[in-house]
Amino acid sequence: MSNLTLDHVVKRYSSVTVVKDVSLAIDEGEFVSLLGPSGCGKTTILRMVAGLIDPSGGTIRIGDRDVTRLPPNKRNIGLVFQSYALFPHLTVHENVAFGLRRKGQSGAALDARVGEALAMVRLAGYGERYPRQLSGGQQQRVAMARAIAPRPNVLLFDEPLSNLDAKLRDEMQIELKRLQRELGITTLFVTHDQAEALSLSDRVCVMQDGVIQQFAEPETIYRRPATAFVASFIGKPNRLAGTIRGGRVALDEQLELRSESDLSGDGRPVEVFIRQEAISLAASGDESVNRIAGTVALRSFSGPQVKYVVRIGSDQELVVEAPSSGPAGDLAPGQPVMLEVHPQDVLVLSRETAP
Amino acid sequence: MRSWRTGVLLFSPLLLVLAGAFIVPLILLAPTSFREYQPGMGIVAGSFTLQNYVRIVADDYYREVVLRTLGLGVGVTVACLLLGYPVAYLIVRGRPGWRLPLTLLVIFPLMLNLVVRSFGWIVLLTNRGVVNNLLIDVGLIEAPLKLMFNVTGVTIGLTHIYLPFMVLMLVAALQNVPRDLEAAAATLGSSRFHVFRAVTLPLTAPGIIAGSILVFVLTISALVTPRMLGGPTYQVMATLIYDEYMQLLDWPSGSALSFALALATLLIIWISSRMTKRWAGLA
Ligand SMILES: Nc1ncnc2c1ncn2[C@@H]1O[C@H](COP(=O)(O)OP(=O)(O)OP(=O)(O)O)[C@@H](O)[C@H]1O
Ligand SMILES: [Mg+2]
Repeated sequence: MSNLTLDHVVKRYSSVTVVKDVSLAIDEGEFVSLLGPSGCGKTTILRMVAGLIDPSGGTIRIGDRDVTRLPPNKRNIGLVFQSYALFPHLTVHENVAFGLRRKGQSGAALDARVGEALAMVRLAGYGERYPRQLSGGQQQRVAMARAIAPRPNVLLFDEPLSNLDAKLRDEMQIELKRLQRELGITTLFVTHDQAEALSLSDRVCVMQDGVIQQFAEPETIYRRPATAFVASFIGKPNRLAGTIRGGRVALDEQLELRSESDLSGDGRPVEVFIRQEAISLAASGDESVNRIAGTVALRSFSGPQVKYVVRIGSDQELVVEAPSSGPAGDLAPGQPVMLEVHPQDVLVLSRETAP
Repeated sequence: MRSWRTGVLLFSPLLLVLAGAFIVPLILLAPTSFREYQPGMGIVAGSFTLQNYVRIVADDYYREVVLRTLGLGVGVTVACLLLGYPVAYLIVRGRPGWRLPLTLLVIFPLMLNLVVRSFGWIVLLTNRGVVNNLLIDVGLIEAPLKLMFNVTGVTIGLTHIYLPFMVLMLVAALQNVPRDLEAAAATLGSSRFHVFRAVTLPLTAPGIIAGSILVFVLTISALVTPRMLGGPTYQVMATLIYDEYMQLLDWPSGSALSFALALATLLIIWISSRMTKRWAGLA
């Protein structure tokens, strides 16, 4: 077990740069997710760490060893693929034993380690089967057992759960987290599912176009996004245009909101993000909150939640979520409403950083 | 049931052609192969003998030709496999820029007539041919090597002619091996050689077997190249059958040899398709 460091790593394909100067330090035993939209370079980074792609620049370190130029078989890593990549011509037992045999293990010691790894993913007794005789979830667990059996220094996952159905994915997430905790192996996990990233990780690294946008704890990513991109990518935010005016953010001539974000620089054009779930339709009587008057324009029912599109100010709209069983579950279009938003939920970010 | 019937219907035009062109003549030849042949007299009407078949294994000369043919088949198959695998590997796993030129290089010989290609080899391999002259000029040898009218020439010629088939089969097999499997093996500690031995090679086994059957069957039934590069004395089964029919007019013996060749081919295809099934079951 050791830490993983990427130092100014760059990857260029002839004319395009797909990973631009990425620096990342992952602590020993830490679980870090790489989160970002499709094509932002997540897989490329993961494969550079694995040694399957040569970086165009920068250094990659595992523990205190510079592995940048080492072939994959010299790096002592475990990689779990989206496609599972189990060896179809080998039994489950032999698949899991593959890495152990490469490390010179054999006989009873090998069998014990394979049994241990299979027990960890709850597949004890499946050793004699072939991969094609297993379900997708079971194959995924064999892939995990195969990766952890040789006790790698670093575990790498490339969207390992995206081929599973929603229910199985939830189960596997918990399983994966438990396994990683038990083993304490430094883990880099690639996903484009934000809920997965937020719930599994110690820290999340949000990327866009080959650049790290923010690297922080899940709570921080969610509550204090560093850039407009992160704010718009995480959760379901309302995105509004505004201007800084006298220590407040103005959405138009009349409507001004208080915020806990940086409000310096009078007249600066900004983007304002307010999450759907942070807007309340119930009057709290609290004087410190923002009040916004509006009219319901649209109502959409989805079981436990109702969504409203509320017209505010002169020409802006907010999407608001409310519990359908509550007092605000039954508003008709055209009805005037008073919205409340806590200043800490009004995120103000410079417009330049917007994509 | 339904899909089975659709399959038969789709296949029926091909089956009819095959039946008309190959199976019917073969069956018509069957009675002939049991007739007695008397030199100078021709086929003895109404006779029945197994002698034509017995001779294939009992007679030294015939047995030698049969064994030589099978040996040639094995030799050409192994040569095609050893030469073809690296080429196929380079086409599939090499630089993308090499793909098209290499593929064209492999396919190009197929566009030339068989006779022309065999003549090409004669120019290269005769006693005063390009290869011998070069070796003598360089000083590696003093007298010309005998490269033609023997097993060497025929093996070289046939290997060249059937190599494209082997390469194309292997390319198809290699393309079916997911790159992630090779990457997975590498991350688990396999060197490049071990990745090849433990993953790529076993997973391409069905293609290797299919390519080998194809080349073997084509080789043992080849007529033109063995005749041109082997000369009149280097006989294989196909040239022998040709001579029995056209020179000796011994149709019964030729028919029996034809049947033996067809039977050997079918047997080989059957055995190897069973092997493939076992491999493919795992792959
Ligand atoms: N061999 C290559 N040549 C040129 N461009 C490439 C190559 N491989 C990847 N790219 C480009 O690099 C970018 C990043 O690819 P990558 O596979 O890392 O994305 P990703 O973040 O993993 O996306 P996804 O979520 O869809 O898997 C993409 O825009 C892709 O088109
Ligand atoms: Mg990817």
